[in-house]
Amino acid sequence: MNPLVNAMSRFARAYNRRPDLMAEQRGWICTIALVASDSSASVAVRLENGLITCISDQAEADVVITSDEATLRDILELRRGPNEPYLFGDLTVRGRERDFLRLDYIAGVLCPE
Amino acid sequence: MSGPGTLALVGAGCGTGIASVCAIGMLQIEQLLGGLWSVAAVLLAAALCGLLARAFARLSAVVPSGAGLLAFLSRGLGRQSGLVIAAPYFLLTLILVGAEATIVGTLLARVLPVPVAAGALLFLVGTWALCRAGVQIGYRAQAAATAGLVLCMAWLSMLAITGAADRGSLASALIPHAPSAVHFMAGTGEALFLFMGFELITSHAEIARSPRAIGRSLPISVGVLAAFYSLVSLGFSCLDAKAAAAGYRFVPQLAIAEQARSPVAVALMIVLSLLASFTCFNGALLALSRFACALAAQGTLPRRFGRLDPRTMVPRKALSVLLAVAIGATALVGFGGALEPAILAAAIAASLVYGCAAWVRERPPFAEEERGRGIRLVGRALALGLFALGVAVAVDAGGARAGTLLLVGAAYGGALLLARRARPARLPEPAHGD
Repeated sequence: MNPLVNAMSRFARAYNRRPDLMAEQRGWICTIALVASDSSASVAVRLENGLITCISDQAEADVVITSDEATLRDILELRRGPNEPYLFGDLTVRGRERDFLRLDYIAGVLCPE
Repeated sequence: MSGPGTLALVGAGCGTGIASVCAIGMLQIEQLLGGLWSVAAVLLAAALCGLLARAFARLSAVVPSGAGLLAFLSRGLGRQSGLVIAAPYFLLTLILVGAEATIVGTLLARVLPVPVAAGALLFLVGTWALCRAGVQIGYRAQAAATAGLVLCMAWLSMLAITGAADRGSLASALIPHAPSAVHFMAGTGEALFLFMGFELITSHAEIARSPRAIGRSLPISVGVLAAFYSLVSLGFSCLDAKAAAAGYRFVPQLAIAEQARSPVAVALMIVLSLLASFTCFNGALLALSRFACALAAQGTLPRRFGRLDPRTMVPRKALSVLLAVAIGATALVGFGGALEPAILAAAIAASLVYGCAAWVRERPPFAEEERGRGIRLVGRALALGLFALGVAVAVDAGGARAGTLLLVGAAYGGALLLARRARPARLPEPAHGD
């Protein structure tokens, strides 16, 4: 099975356990894809009004995050925050700034590095 | 994707490059070289930045990251080296904010009954408060403010040039004695300072309409900046540089406005300079606060600065720290005589960081396998040439040398401490699933 889909399911469980965090994202509608640069793995998650509505293995999204598979898994499994690989160029993001700032905030709350 | 296109990115690149403090930099070059030699230094710096623009386009195509310089240098040279080289550039940008605030204070003191220090503080705190509330200047507003300042200064420079021609002093203004080679190199190094920030176009890679828009807007920005600075440099040549430096130390743009003998021209220059300073500081404060927040989130800076405000998505605590640093930098410039050292230190940091960018462009993962040996040698020669310009600025700093080296030393010392704290943040594998 696609390892990123498994990892995203764990991330979703951690997110769903935080109603305060979900409430803060009310009104946010976005599809986020994570694409591994060193394998064919990818995963997408759909958020509507701050609720995760769908996880799939598509690569089309409003925000596309690209890094090696190990880094993406580390982030989704909350072993590592996204800031460090982002700052040093190992993880890139493409999409609207307000979407990935929000994503950065969620990742920061769930994984306080 | 409906992100900024080439025109908007050119506006952002030129808007970041053209700050009010650039007028002081141009006056310094004018005093060092003068006339057509100043223009030659600006054009040589522009040619180097043109080559750098191609290098940055490649860096951004391989690593399209908003982290920009730090991401490129880290991928090319390693994380700690990347941090040690890039962080001083950002720190010295913040010191330049002190110069920018002092300029704003001086401009406000010309039209309002407020002391310079109060005007500077008002500018810093006002811009910080807007950033804290999540207000970010849009591309169109920044482009409009920049275009207004460019057109106004270009018009006034033309007036200065035609005025000198009418007085019959144009030839003597434009053709002074030839400077020494070291003076010319130092002037070119200082001219690099005028272009500082054009490369920040690469930090828009994540949201740009297309990757090609980034590649196109980099050299166009350099071209626009080169034409603008060359014309204004000619305008400054037609003024009495010594008188301008004495009477308008912090605001030489007013020297060029007041020679037009029009209150409207002076008022326009003040308003446009204030707008340019505001758009520059707004962008710098938001970008640097996110950088500081990201470093804090991974423990390189105190972690309490690493939180985004959930409503505005702005790192408020990091912003407050930057405000404190900016106020300190303003005091250093206004009361500590650090204006010239701040500009020279920024020019040295720009030379080093640009040289390193040219160097990493010829290294993995940026160098193409099929890239010829000759072109790689040209890239490395560009890097060495840029390093040499930084050295020339330090050698030729005269009375400002001690202050310049102190600022450079403090910035790189601080960066070394940051790099020592930087480490890969990774928690162990979970024992049972999640």
